[in-house]
Amino acid sequence: MGRILIVDDTMFMRTLLKNILFSGGHDIVGEAADGAEAVAKYQDLKPDLVTMDIVMPKVNGIEALKAIRAADPSAKVIMCTAVGQEQMVKLAVKSGAKGYIVKPFQAPKVLEEVKNVLSA
Amino acid sequence: MMKTVPAKVEHEGRWVSTKVGIAEDRFRIEAPVDREIPYRSVVDLEEKRNQIIVAVGGDGEAVYHIASVEKVLTVLKKFIITQASAYRLNAFFMSPAIRGGVLIQDATWEKGAIAVMKTGIWFVSQEKQVCIPLDEVAGIELTSREIQGKDLNVVKIDHLVENEVVTSFVLCPLTTLQVLYNFLKEATSGTEIKEDLDPLTGQVAMLVYSGMDSSAIENMLKLSHKDLDAIYDKLLSTGMAEVLYVRKEVQLTPKGVRYISESLKTPME
Repeated sequence: MGRILIVDDTMFMRTLLKNILFSGGHDIVGEAADGAEAVAKYQDLKPDLVTMDIVMPKVNGIEALKAIRAADPSAKVIMCTAVGQEQMVKLAVKSGAKGYIVKPFQAPKVLEEVKNVLSA
Repeated sequence: MMKTVPAKVEHEGRWVSTKVGIAEDRFRIEAPVDREIPYRSVVDLEEKRNQIIVAVGGDGEAVYHIASVEKVLTVLKKFIITQASAYRLNAFFMSPAIRGGVLIQDATWEKGAIAVMKTGIWFVSQEKQVCIPLDEVAGIELTSREIQGKDLNVVKIDHLVENEVVTSFVLCPLTTLQVLYNFLKEATSGTEIKEDLDPLTGQVAMLVYSGMDSSAIENMLKLSHKDLDAIYDKLLSTGMAEVLYVRKEVQLTPKGVRYISESLKTPME
């Protein structure tokens, strides 16, 4: 089970992910609504894993991923994308993302992906 | 040259052991069925666990349920898919590409053929045989996807596999792709969305999709039981949802209250 930081600009998605991850026994240590907040909270909370939305205001998910990985190369980040954002996925791969969730998602598969990334 | 293998077939309502002969252009079911079937006369192929259901058209119209080991069924399916009376095209496909919202990282494009049959679409390559039953298709979209640095047109098919939403992609020349897309649109027109949902009902639908139960949805959206029931009714009336089960809420009768009260009494010495 992991300590997870959820990053998404919509409260609905954050709440949904929080419920899914909580049902899987994970501890939600924090939430952020944009990339800048995500980077700051990562440094404060040192979570085991981050779920990171890509399209967000201020600093987007890719930039936040890069900043987090620059500060902590062992950081485990799962990106949340919409179908059709293959370019973003490629950028995320280059930037060190460990997994990808495509919206809309189903709880069991999200938990499986989180488990895989946490145990990698 | 016909290779004969053991199999079971459904005959007059029960499963019987027999043999199936498989040749390049036809297969034969031995007694008691005693029937030789050219692959080109097959009009539909379905798969259910360790059996296939083969529908033959034309004069000898009939449906055969055949069960056998996977290896035998794989060979038989390949011959049927590549020769049956169906709309067929050469294409690349990626199936599954996304499962339950999780991108499958080692998914690759496979070169093969697609056969569109009465009840499903079959993808067949050297490695794989994948069937998408038409009544399990949840969405079709003609879209573009970046492949080897180029934006190419693909058909994206969302379908259900044991309650998981799976996304597959088909890639072929645009004109063929358009034909495939139009066919699939037509074949799945029964599930086309004509209704527009209000934002709250849309959010509830999204939560159901994600696997949330009623009490989680009530908590997340701060809805009462009655409000959620009314939203469920909207989803049911549009055919977008079906009742999984009805949960009971109960209150204790005087007998139940007495049981609880008595169970908490300190035993008298």
